Amino acid sequence: MARSWDKAAVVLCMDVGLAMSNSFPGEESPFELAKKVMTMFVQRQVFAENKDEVALVLFGTDGTKNALAAGDQYQNITVHRHLMRPDFDLLEDIESKIQPGSQQADLLDALIVCMDLIQEETLGKKFEKRHIEVFTDLSSPFSRDQLDIIIHNLKKSGISLQFFLPFPIGKQGGTGDRGDGSLLSDHHGPSFPPKGITEQQKEGIQMVKKVMMSLEGEDGLEEIYSFSEALRQLCVFKKTERRSMPWSCQLTIGSNLSIKIVAYKSITQEKVKKCWTVVDARTLKKEAIQKETVYCLNDDDETEVSKEDTIQGFRYGSDIIPFSKVDEEQMKYKSEGKCFSVLGFCRSSQVHMKYFMGNQVLKVFAAKDDEAAAVALSSLIHALDELDMVAVVRYVYNEKTNPQVGVAFPLIKDAYECLVYIQLPFMEDLRQYMFPSLKNNRKCTPTEAQLSAVDALIDSMSLVQKDEEEGTIEDLFPTSKIPNPQFQRLFQCLLHRALHPQEPLPPIQQHILSMLDPPTEVTAKCQVPLSKIKTLFPLTEVIKKKNQVTGQDIFQDNHEEGPTCKKLKTEEEEAHFSVSSLAEGSVTCVGSVNPAENFRVLVRQKKATFEEASHQLINHIEQFLDTNETLYFMKSMDCIKAFREEAIQFSEEQRFNNFLKALREKVEVKQLNHFWEIVVHDGVTLITKDEAPGSSVTTEEAKKFLAPKENANADSAAAFEEGGDVDDLLELI
Amino acid sequence: MSGWESYYKNEGDEEEEQEEGLEAGGDYSYSGRDSLIFLVDASRAMFESQDEDELTPFDMSIQCIRSVYTNKIISSNRDLLAVVFYGTKKDKNSVNFKNIYVLQELDNPGVKRVQELDKFKGQEGKKYFEDQIGHGSDYSLSEVLWVCANLFSDVQFKMSHKRIMLFTNEDDPHGDDSAKASRARTKAGDLRDTGIFLDLMHLKKRGGFDTSLFYRDVIIAENEDIGIHFEESSKLEDLLRKVRAKETRKRVLSRLKLKLNKDVTLTVGIYNMVQKAYRPPPVRLYRETNEPVKTKTRTFNVNTGSLLLPSDTKRSQTYSHRQIVLEKEETEELKRFDEPGFILIGFKPLMMLKKHHYLRHSLFVYPEESLINGSSTLFSALLTKCLEKEVMAVCRYTPRRNSPPCFVALVPQEEELDDQKIQVAPPARQGPLSVGLSRQEHWSGLPCPPPGDLPDPGDLTHISCISGFQLVFLPYADDKRKVPFTEKVMANPEQVDKMKAIVQKLRFKYRSDSFENPVLQQHFRNMEALALDLMEPEQAVDLTLPKTEVMDKRLGSLVDEFKELVYPPDYNPEGKVTKRKKDDESYGSKRPKVELSEEELKAHVSKGTLGKLTVPALKEACRMYGLKGGLKKQELLDVLTEHFQKA
Repeated sequence: MARSWDKAAVVLCMDVGLAMSNSFPGEESPFELAKKVMTMFVQRQVFAENKDEVALVLFGTDGTKNALAAGDQYQNITVHRHLMRPDFDLLEDIESKIQPGSQQADLLDALIVCMDLIQEETLGKKFEKRHIEVFTDLSSPFSRDQLDIIIHNLKKSGISLQFFLPFPIGKQGGTGDRGDGSLLSDHHGPSFPPKGITEQQKEGIQMVKKVMMSLEGEDGLEEIYSFSEALRQLCVFKKTERRSMPWSCQLTIGSNLSIKIVAYKSITQEKVKKCWTVVDARTLKKEAIQKETVYCLNDDDETEVSKEDTIQGFRYGSDIIPFSKVDEEQMKYKSEGKCFSVLGFCRSSQVHMKYFMGNQVLKVFAAKDDEAAAVALSSLIHALDELDMVAVVRYVYNEKTNPQVGVAFPLIKDAYECLVYIQLPFMEDLRQYMFPSLKNNRKCTPTEAQLSAVDALIDSMSLVQKDEEEGTIEDLFPTSKIPNPQFQRLFQCLLHRALHPQEPLPPIQQHILSMLDPPTEVTAKCQVPLSKIKTLFPLTEVIKKKNQVTGQDIFQDNHEEGPTCKKLKTEEEEAHFSVSSLAEGSVTCVGSVNPAENFRVLVRQKKATFEEASHQLINHIEQFLDTNETLYFMKSMDCIKAFREEAIQFSEEQRFNNFLKALREKVEVKQLNHFWEIVVHDGVTLITKDEAPGSSVTTEEAKKFLAPKENANADSAAAFEEGGDVDDLLELI
Repeated sequence: MSGWESYYKNEGDEEEEQEEGLEAGGDYSYSGRDSLIFLVDASRAMFESQDEDELTPFDMSIQCIRSVYTNKIISSNRDLLAVVFYGTKKDKNSVNFKNIYVLQELDNPGVKRVQELDKFKGQEGKKYFEDQIGHGSDYSLSEVLWVCANLFSDVQFKMSHKRIMLFTNEDDPHGDDSAKASRARTKAGDLRDTGIFLDLMHLKKRGGFDTSLFYRDVIIAENEDIGIHFEESSKLEDLLRKVRAKETRKRVLSRLKLKLNKDVTLTVGIYNMVQKAYRPPPVRLYRETNEPVKTKTRTFNVNTGSLLLPSDTKRSQTYSHRQIVLEKEETEELKRFDEPGFILIGFKPLMMLKKHHYLRHSLFVYPEESLINGSSTLFSALLTKCLEKEVMAVCRYTPRRNSPPCFVALVPQEEELDDQKIQVAPPARQGPLSVGLSRQEHWSGLPCPPPGDLPDPGDLTHISCISGFQLVFLPYADDKRKVPFTEKVMANPEQVDKMKAIVQKLRFKYRSDSFENPVLQQHFRNMEALALDLMEPEQAVDLTLPKTEVMDKRLGSLVDEFKELVYPPDYNPEGKVTKRKKDDESYGSKRPKVELSEEELKAHVSKGTLGKLTVPALKEACRMYGLKGGLKKQELLDVLTEHFQKA
């Protein structure tokens, strides 16, 4: 299906005459600026790959080349390129081939050449729009005789015009009442009257205004742009907008009331259309690369299995349930085709914006050329508007898509009225998190002085200008008029690489960056309030403990990537020591859950002295032993072992040896023979001087320390000999 | 229609799903798994209900736990759950403590576990409990907590969050034994130190539950939850709400800087409060054993057969016959504008926020002290003043490195804002407002309150209305589309009034959790049926369908009266439908019979008009030359163009 409605024929008509190269010192010449704007326009066309065709006509050239040229007529006008799909050749031509001329040519003659070109070259082809864009400084003389004929012909053939001039022209009625186009008004650039304008140019301006007024009335003036405006607002070019396809359906209320409607997507995130193809680095061919997916079993050999030997399954919690595509298709939910049915109506305040979901906004109108439907929908729109209510509807795009529940609320404008549909969440999509109240939190309650500083800041950074007389508010930063810089940047890089394959990517263009920044007057005004805030609010960067760096931080900030990664690795290398325990970072004393671990953390992070930590540890060990239960014995053993290891590390062997000796005494007193058997079995003895130089204990002595005393309990010794295994001991108990 | 579909199709759009999935899954991998132990008092008092038809506290707890289980299966099946009873006769735990029965250790929720829980439901459940486990006479809470701590430490996975929910209706468990009580307190303190959260889900007790007797010292509310609940739960809904709010841990999407200018910076956390829940992706299984297989993808060079490293490849795009090649890093780099974070642009009146300029679901912004101290105070001051002056902050937002900036509005949100509004103007609650929305027992077996019948749910709205900024995405010029609107035809006041009557008849109270996703519900029901070897899966109740009968009954003669006022006598608002259907039917049988000669194709290629051909025609052409293209038009075009340029 050829979509002729978005196809346009565009003639770029550029003045390359003498005066175009003149510029004030430090400024770019109109010639260069015009080239920039044209590049931007053509580049968008090339990368958007739409079907528009573009021609380029230059006037003021040294030579002459056009179909109308005869005798002294239509001189110094060159048709540089005929109507065809724009490509890189055209971009290259604009960048390097077009040279300033030394002649002057009649702008109106050039217009006639352009019109002729459009007429001739669109014959037999379908173009929805025909369009001429003129880039000139208006400094060449022209003859008015044919002005009326030109206007008449433009009207007749439906050719629209846009002018791009080096300076903004004064637009009657001010700039504020442009409705939604207030970015067009030149907040950054010079204001009227432009400096150094000649009589000839003034005459030119009058002529251009006249042409535009007679073509499009008052609105015609909106189509005269300055170069700087055009650069800042790349979407001024008429034909690049995308239109939505209609979706027709019936809005139903109950089973008996339906209204024929048609819906269009009005907002959806525009994405880069083309994706990157992976190519071989040497041959630059994508055929050279093949991707292969293999399946293998989760065994040691990673045995490969063929795709035919695999089936599809789904996780259901911990279970995996085999579920073939066929079964799935048969059993899955089926919606019954397209649908826009009202489920009920509720107060608009109940459907808060924060619940809006999905990736589109639909505008719902009555079906085309159906007055009855229009009246019916209008009743609904006004009923909802007057009651301050909204409709909750079930929406299904077609039988293959899943149903949605969404809200439809009225939107009433001067020119039209409609319902706006936006998806709402299902119960499964909600996440209910709780946050502490900021209001009642004494820690973060701001003082009066702080509050008034913020108050001043908000006033100084206001992005609106109120016109008291007219009661209107002008938006100084209408974000929805700003084109997505991502596209412009991509096109810039692509073009640069196409024309200069060996060079690195260029920096981001300044005009794109400034488009994203707040208006200069706002940045100027807020300096004082901001410095006040700086002094009133203490804001200190937390010196990050390396061990608390989360994965996310690492990924967010590449500068830190190197060192933190290393750090994590070294931590992993350390035995008996889990990274998670470090990461928790909150250990302040030895608790009863993980005493051994806590102890290690404390002494290693030097959060407590060894003496203090070991005291706490010993307390726990004693508590454990008091229970006289095997589980606690095991836990105590862990503690003792940890104590021993760390003691060797920190040369605190004496402390450990004293403890162990005291422990042996205690064991005897409290009849904890079972426990001592475990100690003996695990061979936990005094620290010898082989292990730590500070110790005076010999290996022999250490061995002896564990040897059963003469009066040792015979029973326990017997038990030990019989089993000789801790597990047995455990079972005995 | 091809164009329309490609713009418009949103469901089942694989690419999109993946993208969203990445975003949602991203934070998972960083933070490990959440683990949650349900600790249920099983002493006799828990099995006594005050009323005949009232659920016993124990039954309520079990149903609530079951609901969390089934929810977890859907929303986050990697999380670990456990159920522990205490005050039992039998005991079952790794350390052989008395009166403690570990019913389920920490593991992913699964079918068998849900079934096991079901056995404890209702009167039969009570009997089952008495037969199998029985009530004990005594227990020590410190031992109970000890067992729980052991459950956590036995888990092999990395855990991000450990929580114990204690369900009981005994406010003074160790009243006569101060030693036990003090041990319990110590143990609870130990748990806190090791990062285990302990929540009290206290249930109704005759004479009221007095937290001051014992639990106030045991459960020291986390700083963040001050004042959330001190009410005991006497209804299942209350308990469910309480549990749900606690059960999901807030996952911060990212922590970012908010720059007022170069010098003044605070940090904020970004949270996702709404996130499209998708069916989990399928898993490949080995046919013989049903065990999951690993998938490995290799990229290799066709000519040499050698494996390719990422550095052996580049990225390319072709425009009008010209191939443009970039390094992979360059394709990332060109998306980079700012460092991640917010840059304040200025302030605008709240009323300038256009509801119909919605771009993508909003996020929630809350101060973050962990990176810059003092952030909360400045944040709080900004919030207070924005609310007072009714303005929003417009910022430039870069979510990640290498992501292009977008404009966002930070809309101040006051605590309980909605709540108050609702209370100021309570909705007319006539009759059993069940405009198709009354939920019967849904599959988890929970009687859920039909929306509109709830006593003003202070608790819930409280949760959903937290103070902070709502982050609203603002569209760029490119995101807006020109819509060819229909001429405005105004209805007259009489017609509007009639419609008003219709609207009033169909009022209900919207709650964001009123609707379940029928697609997901059906999927999980199918899974359940297969897992349990049921013959037929239970059909999910599709809550998104209008309850036409109820509606028709409520509307009565209003519809006919309205139609009479609005529609001409011979007008058929359902017209044209049949015609469309025919179109749809014949669509399938239409096969492309377009065959293009080589000359024609070449001509198209050289003129750059190949794009005029339809996708089927392009596919056919690709087939003719044995070219492998993708499914997208652009891919087909690229393949063909390349082919003819070479030739």
